[in-house]
Amino acid sequence: MIVLTLLQAVSGAIPKNPIARWEWVFPVVETLHIFGFTMLVGAVTILDLRLLGATLRRIPIPQLAKDLSPWIWAGIVVQFITGPYLFSGDPHEYIQIAAFRNKMLFLLLALIYHFTVIRKAVAAPADASAPLGWRRPAAFVSLGLWFCVLLSGMWIGNL
Amino acid sequence: MSPANFCDWLSKTSFSIWLREAPYPFPVLLIIHLLTIAFFGGMVLLGDLRLLGRAMQDIPVSQVLGQFRPWKWTAFGILVVTGVLLSISDPVEYCGNIMFWISLLLLLLVGVNALAFRLGVYRSIAEWDQAEIAPPRARMAGRISLGLWILVVLAGRATAFF
Repeated sequence: MIVLTLLQAVSGAIPKNPIARWEWVFPVVETLHIFGFTMLVGAVTILDLRLLGATLRRIPIPQLAKDLSPWIWAGIVVQFITGPYLFSGDPHEYIQIAAFRNKMLFLLLALIYHFTVIRKAVAAPADASAPLGWRRPAAFVSLGLWFCVLLSGMWIGNL
Repeated sequence: MSPANFCDWLSKTSFSIWLREAPYPFPVLLIIHLLTIAFFGGMVLLGDLRLLGRAMQDIPVSQVLGQFRPWKWTAFGILVVTGVLLSISDPVEYCGNIMFWISLLLLLLVGVNALAFRLGVYRSIAEWDQAEIAPPRARMAGRISLGLWILVVLAGRATAFF
């Protein structure tokens, strides 16, 4: 597994970040992480529901995708700052938790899927009433992948 | 019966004991509670940001709010049901937890703000539906909603630490 090897290399190379383990720093960063995923997954969910024809049916898909894009990116940025920061508190311990490794794998898959399949799905049609076709199953897969990311993420701390 | 007595009685019911001691109910309820926030919290966030003219400016306000409404109500229902069950799992603990009561109070304020918005400035939505920037009262409602929801999440998180 490339992901695991990469994680092991990273965790071996960097020392524990003592500040991330300060009593009040962890919950604060963790809370920012919660707001980050609400932003990221929330915006992705709206887009997926549109692809399913379940919300904002009168709005053309490419227009909605363009509107949501900055918020998806904002979520990604927040997560890629807060996530590694939480990880830095004890990298070696994290990579030994199965839920953490699963999360990283699902996250990688979800991001790749979003920027390939979903990106293609939202590029058209310009006509809001055009049939959705393959976009529906594609959106289902996206929701499923993000569900796995969240679920394994929650499992890391044993809830 | 005083609230403390009620909590005491509730915690001794077999349902409360089951929720608290069986291995699955608590984690499953908590997961559903958090997943619902993760999937639908974005609608609250982006709906408020639309009112503030920060997101989806080219989509009419009535579209954004109207189309998100059924999903938000569904999510809210799930949150209330799982939230009540989670509280029943340990009533004595939550009854004495100040953060728990603060989060309920904040939720009440969320409701008051939403109601004031719907009965107030939202009634003239036709006049500002397409506007990139909503009128000041609508923006204020969006700002208050955003602030209150952030505080609800913070208080909910803090409940675990008090």
